[in-house]
Amino acid sequence: MFLKEFRAVVFQNVLILCASAVLWKQTTATATQVTRPRGVSLARASLYIPDSDFTCLDGSATFPFRYVNDDYCDCQDGSDEPGTSACPNGSFYCRNLGHEATVVPSSRVNDGICDCCDAADEYQSGANCVNTCKELGSAAQEEAQKRYELESQGYAIKLEYINKGKHAKQSQQERNMALKAEQLEAEALRSEKEREKQEAEEPERQALDKYRQIEQEAMKEKEEMERSQREGEASKAFDWLDSNQDGKLQVEELQTHTAFDQNQDGTVSPDEAKFFLHNEEEMEKNEFVTTGWPLIKPFIMKAQGLEAPSQPEQQAGEIPLPDDHHQEESIPETDGEEGEEEDEEHEEEGEIVKPSPVTPSSIEYDAETQALIEAANKARNAYDEADRRLRDLEREIRQLEESNSKDYGPNEEYQPMDGQCYEYSDREYTYKLCPFDNGSQRPKHGGSETRLGSWDSWDGPEGSKYAAMKYDKGVQCWNGPQRSLKVHLSCGMENQLLSVSEPNRCEYEMKFTTPAACSEPRKPNDGDSEFHDEL
Amino acid sequence: MGNWLLILTICAAAVQSCVAVDRGNFKTCDQNAFCKRQRATQPGNSPWEILLDSLNSTISSLQVQVISSRSQARLQLQLIALADSTLHFELDEVNPIKLRYRAQESLSGSPQLSSLKITEQSSDSISLSFGGTGKAILLVKPFRLDVYDGDQLVISVNARGLLNFEHQRVRKSKLWEAMSTVAQTVGSVGSSLPGKAYSWVLQWLPWSSEAGRNEEPSSEPAEEEMKAEAETKHPDEKPVEEEEEPGLWEETFKSHVDSKPYGPTSVGVDISFPGSRHVYGIPEHADTFALKQTKNGDPYRLYNTDVFEYELYNPMALYGAVPFMMAKRQQGTVGIFWNNAAETYVDIEESSSGSVVSSLMNLVSGGGNEPHQQTHWFSESGIIDLYIMIGPTPKDVVRQYGSLTGKTPLPQRFALGYHQCRWNYNDQEDVHSVNKGFDLHDIPYDVLWLDIEHTDNKKYFTWDPVKFPDPLEMVHNLTANGRKLVTIVDPHMKRDSSYFFHEHCEQNDFYVKDKSGKIYEGWCWPGSASYPDFFNPAVRDYWASRFALDKYEGTSLDVYTWNDMNEPSVFNGPEVTMPKDCLHYGGYEHRDVHNMYGMMVVEGTIRGQLMRSDYKLRPFVLSRSFFAGSQRFGAVWTGDNIADWEHLAIAVPMLLSLSVSGIPFCGADVGGFFNNPNTELLTRWYQAGAFQPFFRGHAHLHTKRREPWLFDEQTNKIIKASIKKRYTYLPYWYTLFYEHEKTAVPPMRPLWMEYPQDGETFSMDNQYLLGDSILVHPVVRSGEQEVSVYFPGVDTLWYEIETFRVYEAPGYQTIPVAIEKIPIFQRGGTIVPKKERARRASSLMTKDPYTFIVTLDKQGKAQGRLYIDDGQSLEYQKGSYITLELNMEGHTLSSKVTNQGAFETPESIDKIVIVGLSRAPSSIVDNTGRILEYRYDATSQALVLRKPNFSVSNEWSVNLKM
Repeated sequence: MFLKEFRAVVFQNVLILCASAVLWKQTTATATQVTRPRGVSLARASLYIPDSDFTCLDGSATFPFRYVNDDYCDCQDGSDEPGTSACPNGSFYCRNLGHEATVVPSSRVNDGICDCCDAADEYQSGANCVNTCKELGSAAQEEAQKRYELESQGYAIKLEYINKGKHAKQSQQERNMALKAEQLEAEALRSEKEREKQEAEEPERQALDKYRQIEQEAMKEKEEMERSQREGEASKAFDWLDSNQDGKLQVEELQTHTAFDQNQDGTVSPDEAKFFLHNEEEMEKNEFVTTGWPLIKPFIMKAQGLEAPSQPEQQAGEIPLPDDHHQEESIPETDGEEGEEEDEEHEEEGEIVKPSPVTPSSIEYDAETQALIEAANKARNAYDEADRRLRDLEREIRQLEESNSKDYGPNEEYQPMDGQCYEYSDREYTYKLCPFDNGSQRPKHGGSETRLGSWDSWDGPEGSKYAAMKYDKGVQCWNGPQRSLKVHLSCGMENQLLSVSEPNRCEYEMKFTTPAACSEPRKPNDGDSEFHDEL
Repeated sequence: MGNWLLILTICAAAVQSCVAVDRGNFKTCDQNAFCKRQRATQPGNSPWEILLDSLNSTISSLQVQVISSRSQARLQLQLIALADSTLHFELDEVNPIKLRYRAQESLSGSPQLSSLKITEQSSDSISLSFGGTGKAILLVKPFRLDVYDGDQLVISVNARGLLNFEHQRVRKSKLWEAMSTVAQTVGSVGSSLPGKAYSWVLQWLPWSSEAGRNEEPSSEPAEEEMKAEAETKHPDEKPVEEEEEPGLWEETFKSHVDSKPYGPTSVGVDISFPGSRHVYGIPEHADTFALKQTKNGDPYRLYNTDVFEYELYNPMALYGAVPFMMAKRQQGTVGIFWNNAAETYVDIEESSSGSVVSSLMNLVSGGGNEPHQQTHWFSESGIIDLYIMIGPTPKDVVRQYGSLTGKTPLPQRFALGYHQCRWNYNDQEDVHSVNKGFDLHDIPYDVLWLDIEHTDNKKYFTWDPVKFPDPLEMVHNLTANGRKLVTIVDPHMKRDSSYFFHEHCEQNDFYVKDKSGKIYEGWCWPGSASYPDFFNPAVRDYWASRFALDKYEGTSLDVYTWNDMNEPSVFNGPEVTMPKDCLHYGGYEHRDVHNMYGMMVVEGTIRGQLMRSDYKLRPFVLSRSFFAGSQRFGAVWTGDNIADWEHLAIAVPMLLSLSVSGIPFCGADVGGFFNNPNTELLTRWYQAGAFQPFFRGHAHLHTKRREPWLFDEQTNKIIKASIKKRYTYLPYWYTLFYEHEKTAVPPMRPLWMEYPQDGETFSMDNQYLLGDSILVHPVVRSGEQEVSVYFPGVDTLWYEIETFRVYEAPGYQTIPVAIEKIPIFQRGGTIVPKKERARRASSLMTKDPYTFIVTLDKQGKAQGRLYIDDGQSLEYQKGSYITLELNMEGHTLSSKVTNQGAFETPESIDKIVIVGLSRAPSSIVDNTGRILEYRYDATSQALVLRKPNFSVSNEWSVNLKM
């Protein structure tokens, strides 16, 4: 039974422990060495004093020191069993001389699996563990050396990046300042032009008011003339169509005119004819003049090769009545939709809606009025130009500020990546990452690009925010969420997309190396890491 | 990964197109001709009579014919007395046109016979005795069987006169011959048309719409013969006009036409349970444990189907079927097993007092006018093959049923640990990092699972060469830390000429055939697929042989198997499964064997695993589909559940139904398969799952990752604690599973299995027992702050397992359930073995010492048992194990080794906790006179013996000097 023997081996000699392969049988300690219970780090050795009672490190209980490492859990925090597996929540310290010290959960002790490279955790399981710390240590050192070299070279590039980034930032700032100054000027200019415009428009308005009456009368007259012309034409057409001269149009009369053969089958069917009589058998002249003729006229004209009717090309059967009412109603709606955002198109539309000073050609202005109009037009044009200039400036400033507000890292080291794109291909897709802009995938064998996400923010864990980037609001997955992308950055000699995976559906992850992620290189320790760790 | 996405789209599309809309894809009784016909049978007027002249008997059986006074059709009845108070009732046609299918694979060997004696015979009845206290009376006219336990009438068959045995017949038509030529022409024209148009054409013809159906099953006798037989021996029971009632000879559901070449063959009868208050069993349904009345809806349906996002609390069929039912009276329990693998329905109706049948019952039983449960069973084909078990205790019934269909052999210990699954762990790297994640966060788990995406294009027994280039290396990574791997192997085979399995099946004629005898092709994960005919022994042999380590590349003895989709699932088939007129080995229709298909797949897998280890290691297979007898082959789970609280809650009744129906190794996907659980739901689900038999976390492809450490610290901590708690109770679980194999009593039990007379527990399904010692009341509602726990027993104490706070039974108590709390109690009077050291996996715990938790009853007594073996081999079946009986009485706790085969272990007992001592002892001495260290806590009244360090192999005792 191993348990009985166990009590005898509570204490370990540090030197023997590291030198001996058959550890637990060694019970004698040389006087010069510090003794401490198995599984305790040097830093905590002072908490385990053999000559006095032991108090659990959480203070929950005190008992004779022989309870320490006696393979029975007495402390709630597991601190009485640093060297055994007895406590479910304890931990075991692997010294790992020649490599790095580690702490493993107590559950690893004597479970038959080698966890510490010095094999200290398997002192009683019979597991065939060999001390691999030396090999691991030198491998780790090699690794560290390589890493150091990589970091050094990468860091050198990073410094260049920082330089570039800062430079870019500075020139952006300078440009921004210049633009701001220009903006102030442009604003002043616009105000001035606006004032001038108003000043020019006032006398123009007064002058034009006088002409308004005349204008209206002329307009009325014109409309009247047009109406009588139309009616005359309709009346003539009626008489022509009313072949039996009975003052009414009948279906039979229309059937004689191929112009009404809407489906072009060679004959005018009664239905086709009735369509023009508003689905009645006949039509009086009055009705014809007001509503019948406008419907018929395009067909007659088409038949005579004068003008292609547009309405009759709509689906047969539909009555192609002009739908002016609807259009008139809809205009004020669009008009009232005054967005707050500056929308150029909208603005231009607005200008059209403004009362137009342009006169009907029939009216002649006197020279004075004409001059006022011309002056006002000139002022308006000058204002428009000043306004456009200001808005251009504002847009440029906005863009600049947007770019300026991007976080390119604590020292602007990621700035040079903005505007670049990097690709990676696997079996089926080519992935593209354009840092600070977006990520996407494209099937290799044809097909369109799918946006995986657009730049959102830095997304590293607490303390290393710049270790990962988040791109979100990508294209929605079929029956699923919007795609998103997380990019993990690590130090490398060049900007390179290393791999892409999709651990969750529609949540992509990329590994990306960049010199910008390199930290200032620290010379790797070539001394004993435990020594380093413990002192 | 791109590939992965593509596949997901295809899969999703497939799912979408076949099973997205839930109910509409599955038949209701009204859409199912035989269900409608059987359900329409009117009670009270049975035409069936016993033909006393035909009576024969042997020492264990009697045979007699039953005749219909209406149609003169004859049935052969056989009653066989079986060991352990079981009566086998078998009813088949006399001289059937085609032999009806008899389900044999459900049985674990031939049942042991017992003696049957005819004690009395008159022109009205035959009285007989069987087994010990069993008596039965066969009533001659109308035919009825009453079964008694002693003087108590407990089961009555055909008391309501619902016996309806649709004998096989030849289609009747005066114009049969004249028309067959015409019909052939029409048939061949029609067959190229869609079903509807076809029937429209036929309807237009002067004869019946059915005349066009002219497929003659090749195995049938010549037409002439059939006709002659039909006319002489099988005159129709039903009037001629009923012959052409729709659905007899062809049935259409959605676009699927079932050709039904054998016409109507269904069988049904009523079975009443006088005096019973509740009936249980007939899994699998997502419904309450105590089954509901079905009069106002559909009957409970047993038809294995792949139901997408199943709904709760209804009688719809799910993935598995066990036609076993238990009926519970206040004083006794009986069971029946309806051994029929065809589609089956069960109607349950509580007799209204005063009904004809109920007064008949009461007259016979002499009981009061109490209502009782009466059931009506009917299957689409096969015979009436009924096993009647008369208990009288619930444990007697499960034992009786267990000796018929078998018990779950003790699984390997790892199978009782925690299983980590997901559709899918994407590649080797992913597996590696998940494995590392568990270690990094010090969470134990035993098995990592790989779903379908690990294969090369859904060709089972293969690996995706890009994602899993070196599976053996990956397996070694897992086994190096004591863990196992499970890979999925489904029974739909990709029709790909470069796939060895498919080629072999093609060449050897191993696939299921369609109605015309051509290889059946369905649509499943791989796209076009065919289904090996597992009813053919040669197919199962071949399947089994593919698990050999040199055949299934990339596997080792640490790789086990998951058989999914084995209902079988066919995305484009009727009700997402195989057409019923498909043909199997022996000329049987899929209709006859459907519910057993999944079980036969698993049988092959189990044998494969046994063979590859030269019958040394216990196999492990998880199956979604199951039938009576599946328990012999391993574990099942409740299929594709949903991450919501209702689904967490339904797991308990579903698992209880499985447990009492012989399938004890069962679980529900922890966390819910579909959708994303919030952290509270996930936490509660882990807490619940840790105390259910099969404990596996699983998630759908479209869900977010849910390895425990991906959540906030508290969630991670509680999930970890729940899993660790599971591991501390593994010795108890393992002992329970060992005992199950001996006694058939399931580890997870309804309260009434231990307290059969406590009426309060009869419909209880929000709490349950593990063994006889542990009471579990999982928290299954959001935001729950307290639960009302019912403590069963008289003069019984229950101790909360963490604080040892004591509760007195019987009665309800309010128990606070903060988020980290799992309400679990140990009964006073029991001793539960635990292992309290946390390891990475169960295989690393084998040498760790035991802790015994002794909770005293009011007399200061307690008993418990512990079973120990090597945890993996089959040596235990040769006696290589240790069993301990622990007993505390009169301040002395002793351990008696009741079996010690050739099994040695260094395990010891390093801690004994005795709870319920009102004061500290003055000293504690063991049987060798050694004085033991201890600590006593007056608040919890718990005494802790420190390091007694008894070897489990030795007998020992400790005495508390009070």
